[in-house]
Amino acid sequence: MATPSIAANAYASLAKLTDPSGLTKGAGEASGGQSFGALVKDAVNALSKTSQNSDMQTQAAAAGKANIVDVVTAVAESEVAIDALVSVRDKVISAYEEIMRMPI
Amino acid sequence: MDFLKSIAIAASGLRAQAGRMRIISENIANADSTAASVGAEPYRRKMASFKTEMDRTLDAQIVALGRIKTDPSEFRVKHEPGHPAADQNGNVKYPNVNALVEMTDLREAQRSYEANINIIGASRRMIQRTIEILKS
Repeated sequence: MATPSIAANAYASLAKLTDPSGLTKGAGEASGGQSFGALVKDAVNALSKTSQNSDMQTQAAAAGKANIVDVVTAVAESEVAIDALVSVRDKVISAYEEIMRMPI
Repeated sequence: MDFLKSIAIAASGLRAQAGRMRIISENIANADSTAASVGAEPYRRKMASFKTEMDRTLDAQIVALGRIKTDPSEFRVKHEPGHPAADQNGNVKYPNVNALVEMTDLREAQRSYEANINIIGASRRMIQRTIEILKS
């Protein structure tokens, strides 16, 4: 699962956002690192994959074909991924808002 | 991620214990199943065994239900001359299932299942507590 790297990337982009020298480089986009948009895109793609798996397992269980244990593990996995992504998003947005509130 | 791995390993324990429960229920349900014809054997008690399996994708050792063996011990013999499966002496062979043994086995399976569920719950709580750091 890519969640740890997502979080690490989010921290990196956060650091870029809050780094005053990063602002001159166009919000971290041109500094060689991953842009926040690309980061979110990757994370959402990874998330949709785990969610699809949990959906598939749930449907199979409803049809009486899957083990309930598989459903529980698949749902727990996607829950963790969603929770982590949502937390990172909230954190990045709150940092952005903090910057926007800054008196110039 | 290690937490997700431990959830998957505990899930293998759940599956194995569920299989054991299936065998125990088979034994209890068939505790009085006599032979279909005279001279044939009645239901023979089944025993579950567990084996360690290497899971390549998890890179961890999970548990799986092993070969299901039959209990070679003696059948219970009751004197019931009117029974359709009775032999010339009026004896009927009953399965070698002991309800007390099955109940202890059942409790063991139940406790093991609960232990694995606790592993899943604890891992899940630890992940969520870690993610909560981000939220503060």
